[in-house]
Amino acid sequence: MLKSKTFIKKTRSGGVMKIVREHYLRDDIWCGSEVCADCKQESTVLQGDACIESNLCAYPHYLIPDTNVVLHQIDVLEDPVIRNVIILQTVLQEVRHRSAPVYKRLKDIIHEKEKHFYTFTNEHHSETFVEREPGESANDRNDRAIRVATKWYSQHLKTSAPDAEGLKVVLLTNDNGNKQKAEESGLLVYKCEEYIKSLIANPELVDCLALSNDDKNEVTSSKVLFPEHLPLSRIQAGIKSGTFLQGTFRASRDNYLEATVFVQGEGEDTTEVLIQGLQNLNRAVHQDVVAVQLLPRDQWVAPSSVVLQDEGTAKDDDAEEEEEEEKALRISAAEASRKPTARIVGIIKRSWRPFCGMLNTSQIKESTRHLFTPADRRIPRIRIETRQAATLAGQRIMVAIDGWPKHSRYPNGHFVRSLGGAGDKETEQEVLLLEHDVPHQAFSQAVLSFLPKMPWCITPEDMMKREDLRHLTVCSVDPPGCTDIDDALHCRELDNGNLEVGVHIADVSHFIRPGNAMDKEAANRGTTVYLCGKRIDMVPELLSSNLCSLRSNVERLAFSCIWEINHKAEILKTRFTKSVINSKASLTYAEAQMKIDDTSKNDDITKSLRGLNKIAKILKRHRIEKGALTLSSLEVRFHIDSETHDPIDLQTKELMETNSMVEEFMLLANISVAQKIYDEFPDCAMLRKHPAPPPSNYDILLKAAKSKEVEIHTDSAKALADSLDMARVDGFPYFNTLLRILATRCMMQAVYFCSGMDSDFHHYGLASPIYTHFTSPIRRYADIIVHRLLAVAIGADSTYPDLMDKQKQSALSNNLNYRHKMSQYAQRASVAFHTQLFFKSRGILNEEGFVLFVRKNAIIVLIPKFGLEGTVFFDKKDKAAPNLVFDEEGPSLKVEQHTFHIFDRVKVTISLDDSNIQHQKIRMSLIDPVIPGVSVPVPDVEPQAKKPKLDR
Amino acid sequence: MATVQVSEAEKVYILHGIRDDLRVDGRGCEDYRHMEIETDVVSNTDGSAKITLGHTAVLVGVKAEIGKPRPLVPNEGYLEFFVDCSANATPEFEGRGGEELGTELSNTLYKVFNNKHSVDLKSLSISAGEHCWVLYVDVLLLQCDGNLYDAISIAIKAALFNTKIPRVHISSDDEGGKEIELSDDPYDCMRLDVENVPCIVTLCKVGHRHVVDATLQEKACSVASLIISVTHKGTVTCTRKVGGGSLDPESIYEMTEAGKRVGKALHAPLMKLLQQEESLGTKRQKVGFLG
Repeated sequence: MLKSKTFIKKTRSGGVMKIVREHYLRDDIWCGSEVCADCKQESTVLQGDACIESNLCAYPHYLIPDTNVVLHQIDVLEDPVIRNVIILQTVLQEVRHRSAPVYKRLKDIIHEKEKHFYTFTNEHHSETFVEREPGESANDRNDRAIRVATKWYSQHLKTSAPDAEGLKVVLLTNDNGNKQKAEESGLLVYKCEEYIKSLIANPELVDCLALSNDDKNEVTSSKVLFPEHLPLSRIQAGIKSGTFLQGTFRASRDNYLEATVFVQGEGEDTTEVLIQGLQNLNRAVHQDVVAVQLLPRDQWVAPSSVVLQDEGTAKDDDAEEEEEEEKALRISAAEASRKPTARIVGIIKRSWRPFCGMLNTSQIKESTRHLFTPADRRIPRIRIETRQAATLAGQRIMVAIDGWPKHSRYPNGHFVRSLGGAGDKETEQEVLLLEHDVPHQAFSQAVLSFLPKMPWCITPEDMMKREDLRHLTVCSVDPPGCTDIDDALHCRELDNGNLEVGVHIADVSHFIRPGNAMDKEAANRGTTVYLCGKRIDMVPELLSSNLCSLRSNVERLAFSCIWEINHKAEILKTRFTKSVINSKASLTYAEAQMKIDDTSKNDDITKSLRGLNKIAKILKRHRIEKGALTLSSLEVRFHIDSETHDPIDLQTKELMETNSMVEEFMLLANISVAQKIYDEFPDCAMLRKHPAPPPSNYDILLKAAKSKEVEIHTDSAKALADSLDMARVDGFPYFNTLLRILATRCMMQAVYFCSGMDSDFHHYGLASPIYTHFTSPIRRYADIIVHRLLAVAIGADSTYPDLMDKQKQSALSNNLNYRHKMSQYAQRASVAFHTQLFFKSRGILNEEGFVLFVRKNAIIVLIPKFGLEGTVFFDKKDKAAPNLVFDEEGPSLKVEQHTFHIFDRVKVTISLDDSNIQHQKIRMSLIDPVIPGVSVPVPDVEPQAKKPKLDR
Repeated sequence: MATVQVSEAEKVYILHGIRDDLRVDGRGCEDYRHMEIETDVVSNTDGSAKITLGHTAVLVGVKAEIGKPRPLVPNEGYLEFFVDCSANATPEFEGRGGEELGTELSNTLYKVFNNKHSVDLKSLSISAGEHCWVLYVDVLLLQCDGNLYDAISIAIKAALFNTKIPRVHISSDDEGGKEIELSDDPYDCMRLDVENVPCIVTLCKVGHRHVVDATLQEKACSVASLIISVTHKGTVTCTRKVGGGSLDPESIYEMTEAGKRVGKALHAPLMKLLQQEESLGTKRQKVGFLG
């Protein structure tokens, strides 16, 4: 049967358009129930014995939630207890329209077999389709459609499932009007809260309930704390006319009363607008898209450099208020350089996600309302209701925000799930993965289904299309313990006296075909994330550690880049080919180094390595002559106890000649490939650039160098590299490294981009006009794209539309850049956490360090031994601040009588401050130089700290 | 336009019949052929009607769009006519064959509606000088069997009657910027008053007499015809003479009088019929093009 759906739409140009869609109704849509005898369905989803212990519904029943229940109570629906639910198409469509994240979660639940969620396409069912009536709003129609479908189900089950006695359907709705109408037409209907509370066996579900509107009213006093948000139509009109600005809200990490809004202007430029004070912040949460109105110029303020943390507790909302206002005033009084300041008038899009954090249990024992403190300081505290406070205290939990009414000091939320005890390694790891938005779930069945069948072997067809390089003496050099080996090398002498050097990269694109579930998952993950003692793979392990990994003495598929090079390291010929290799050895850097150094050895592998090493040295010299930077950042390596997985020692990574040898050839391969794919596809090559930093970035470096009377030139990369090489201070061998660390901090982030969307390709750090990533396809998705491009360029593989679409490429590179950044943050956070664990086991340590930065009220100290950076504060909450004079030009900080400069040598004690279990941190205090009232006495270096280790 | 070949003997037969007020198909001189009207036949227009008159078939669609008012009449909307002579109607229309006729027909329609009374153009205004509704009246000839003008005008009246214009209101914000807002109820719409929309009556001079709704054969016997557009009150909004022959003043007067009489008689049952159809609402069984 054909019906047409008509609706009227406003077009972008301001016109009005009538749109008519054909809508087909069918009579072969089945109910999905196991017990139904009438429906001719092939497989059923809903169980016959849909029993759940409830004191409202003692009979077996299916649930039909309405749209708002799904939108607000998705956390409840996700609970494994809730099964046998019918999701109507009407509901699904409305959810999709209103919230993409909830829609995705709902789809995930529906796909989960154990949940028995059934989608009933009621809109296309000839008996449940309803047409909108005159005077009926769209929402009313949908509610009616839901009721009609529920009615149909209850009658259908009655007539066609005579065996299943008393099987009923229950409609869940929170809308009073809808409920009343449903009751009138004789349906079983409950409010979601009513129903969940009736589940006797599962009281913990009640905590997951999101607060609905009527609940909120009773929670707080009627006192209005915040100005009303403007409706979206007003906001849009305001943005159009220029009275409001739209931007992304970024809360300040250090001051909960301050935030910035990044307003996207014309083209590339963004302006920052400052927001200060609770009223002006007006319930915006970090990362929301907001509309702001600029304040008159005389109300502009400067960003404060004060650290303010919201320490208030739940009960004394009112008393707190004045205090806060006072604080806010103090901030505005201290201003010197004013910035554009604004207030938030409305929220355009919330970007609430479940937040990790911990519960602050209420002082009142029986209270069920508690405040939740998120791990991310930029997120406000959230008020939640739970009966399990006693169990949840001391655990890391996840909480979702439900809403933020204007009379409530804190947003309201509900408990989602517990992650485990705070301080546990697994829990903390989970937290840092979640907080850095790192997809870390196990790979889904859909993804795994695209893995090659085991046992896998190279087929004759593969051999036909590939060059057989199995006879070459290929070997790989990697850090110890590496299982995802994505590169291998070879070098041999040719008959004409030149050298043939090959870089062989795992051929991941052979296994991951464009567009399938595995490809999509890898594209989303973007990169493998390495945490201390854990690796979150981008591709399933079978590929990353086995089939793609170029292990020794097995045949593997590779993508090879082969050069003919003369002894002056000039490249005579470059060619790319898909190949089959058989690595002769998987070496670690140290092993490779030993082979090269051991003059007694003269086997093929060693000869090959020596050849490589020789060429690499020349290549490196060339590169440095061209102005490539050698920068420095300290990387830390933990020695992990094999049983407890606790870090037992900490050392900075040591670099060997072989590290640089491998690196040199990887750079060469990347540059050669970048050139090739750019030549072939000038519009859609995926490249990587490293923009030159703006001159102002170097200020700190220049000032620091000047303080030691060293001159640094920053006009070009070459000048910078040369002057860094020249920078030496007698009797201070570590100076150069410190300077390089500082220089690293001045740099910009390198990013992926699509060549058709940008014109500046230069890689500043490597001093290369073009660059890309080709050599690590197992752990980076960008490399897979580059492999595909190169394969198309040499005719080894076919292309597909998305590969040639520069918009899509550009969107992909944005995601890769984001994932890459987040994975680095996660990595750093993981190192920081392990450092804390280490210091926890070691107790107090006294170490020597260098001043890296000087701030207004603190110095930042680097401990080279541990690669650890820490802050020594000179003002403390409970003590009167010492006399501090900060000189910006130096920069130097005079504390009482002593002046600190950058690079000063100091001695500090390091200990773990676990007063705040959520934010444990390394605390450093000054021992030397001794400043009365500031430095601390040298603590006994712990015989007791060693003890626990010896006891074990 | 479609023509038929008529022999001398046939002509005489037709002429003599008409002289005695008895036409070949049995009608009197002022009778129309059987007429069928259906409205709301094209769902993606805002109003539509289909008419068959004898074998003449015409489809009219009305699309309402927001446009800018004409500078001379800032507080009125306007109508645009376009007549498409489809090659379906007759092979002569193929290519650009129908263009000339189409232009002629649409020019006539502009003239017919070029007065203050036919349609209340003020009701089409949204905001004076800025926005107004423009009604695009598209006529499609599906089959030609004589008397196109009358069929088209009746179909237009029916289509305008059926037209539902979405209701909009102007919201103005603090800065005086105006925004058109659309009601989100698809049933919330504005109807046109079509009471005064005229119908065209074409009178063909055959011999000494004149007939309405001439068939192609009768047309072939006629030297000239007079097109008169008449409102339900009998007001004539436009007259035109078409055809090669000439008409003497006396017969023009006679024909005009006859046209008024016939036109008045045409309006009343037409309106009744349209209202009757409307009252059936969504339960009406649609006939469409296959019925």
